[in-house]
Amino acid sequence: MILVPITYKGGVYRHDEILDLIEDMGGYIIQKHMIAQEVVLQALIPRDDIETLRVISRPLTGEVIFAPLVGTEIAIVSMSLEIHHLPHASCDVAEYLRTAGAKTNMIGLARGFGKRIGLLSDEERDIINEHDLVIYLFGNFETCIKQKMPTFRRGIHIPIVVTGGPSTDALRKVIDPPVAGYVGGFGRFMHRTKEAPEISKLDDIVSEVSRVLDGRRSEIAKDPLSISPARLMDVILEKLPDIHDVTSPVPVVVQMDGVRVKLPYDPFAAHLKEVEVEKGVTIGMISDIRPSRMRDYILVKVKPFSDTGLMV
Amino acid sequence: MQTLEYFQVESTEPAGGELYRRIASTVITDHDILRVLDRLRIFIDPEVPIFIAVGITRTVPRNIIVSDFSGITYDGDKVILSIADETYLAPLLELLWKRFGKDRIVQPDRFTIEMHLDPEEKEGIEEIVVADPTEGLFKDLIYTMQVICPEGFKVKRQSFQNGKFWFVASENTLQEDVTPLVEEQFAIMGGAS
Repeated sequence: MILVPITYKGGVYRHDEILDLIEDMGGYIIQKHMIAQEVVLQALIPRDDIETLRVISRPLTGEVIFAPLVGTEIAIVSMSLEIHHLPHASCDVAEYLRTAGAKTNMIGLARGFGKRIGLLSDEERDIINEHDLVIYLFGNFETCIKQKMPTFRRGIHIPIVVTGGPSTDALRKVIDPPVAGYVGGFGRFMHRTKEAPEISKLDDIVSEVSRVLDGRRSEIAKDPLSISPARLMDVILEKLPDIHDVTSPVPVVVQMDGVRVKLPYDPFAAHLKEVEVEKGVTIGMISDIRPSRMRDYILVKVKPFSDTGLMV
Repeated sequence: MQTLEYFQVESTEPAGGELYRRIASTVITDHDILRVLDRLRIFIDPEVPIFIAVGITRTVPRNIIVSDFSGITYDGDKVILSIADETYLAPLLELLWKRFGKDRIVQPDRFTIEMHLDPEEKEGIEEIVVADPTEGLFKDLIYTMQVICPEGFKVKRQSFQNGKFWFVASENTLQEDVTPLVEEQFAIMGGAS
């Protein structure tokens, strides 16, 4: 069964029927937002059932949109938290990627600014590495990007997408060895992105990120995970009751190769390890459970089939 | 940026310079310093690296005095100020309290100040200087330049004299005397007029 990432937008009225329908189809609801009278669902549903969902949600004026980034956690790295880099362009990118279904985290570096003095601390590096992909929002000068890039790629083992003021070709030229993706013409600016060319740049970022993540998906498909992260999320929500006391809007964040559980590591990790996915198969058997550098959350990375010999 | 007489952003990387022109125009508008800025030239060389901004301000408004924003009536030993523009009310009250004491200054409502003064104290009430508009101007200008300037350029030097200002910043140590750099930019700006 191939699951497709979608966003459902509709009214609150009878939306529980949609929730039930997605579950009955064998799909997973990754995020649910209720904003006033509107419900927004980020979900993974079987490809063959998209039309059924469309037909059933039509009387409820629901809308089903393909959202390529559902089920991914992306780090948006801003060079600092100063007015120079925030809120534009960092927040604009983070916000736009959310509309495509991604769970984005903004990381403001402590000392990322400057071509010579820019630094990436070990804590920042580790937090970035917990994501599926990182987007570096660089400035407007080729010289600076060229000089600071080695510092920012050191120790990073997830795909890097670079955005910057110079054109995409110029970025490709100055960054050596190459990174996973480039979006040029989107460097430092101090105004809100609302003009058509700027919005189209944001679309370019979404498509570049999707392209890179598709590559990562095919990599994973070569040696599939022992459990789908979306299913793992479902199991945790069902069998770990404490998760429902978490006030965070997304208590279990689905990533491409694991989940982030927003419960403190020390009291809950051992318990989480023992949770049974299926008879005789526990979460501990099919995944690595380790403390996250983000607060004191638990990071669960699913092991591949070749490692466990299990597929649940 | 129509209202600036001269506005130029130049860089050794033309594409980057063009983007910085947009940044500069946004920041200047946001910080509302267009009204005081007449000419501005920015030069950025990311290779060195150096950021130089030079500019000339417009003639700034004179000092704000009491009669500029309030009506004055004399009633026996009482002087009544009717405030028209609240902007300067707080600094005016501070001044009056300091000069005459809090017990002699009464504010029956938001826009009225009553003062009980001796005849000789009433002299020159209208002429009291309440605010100097140029006071914050330098700070505002330099803050604006800091926001435009790339953030990594942490070593800064600036000056503001007789309506001319300059701001130089770099990521590395600046040379002892930046005057030649600044003069060069002033000369280019002057030559373009």
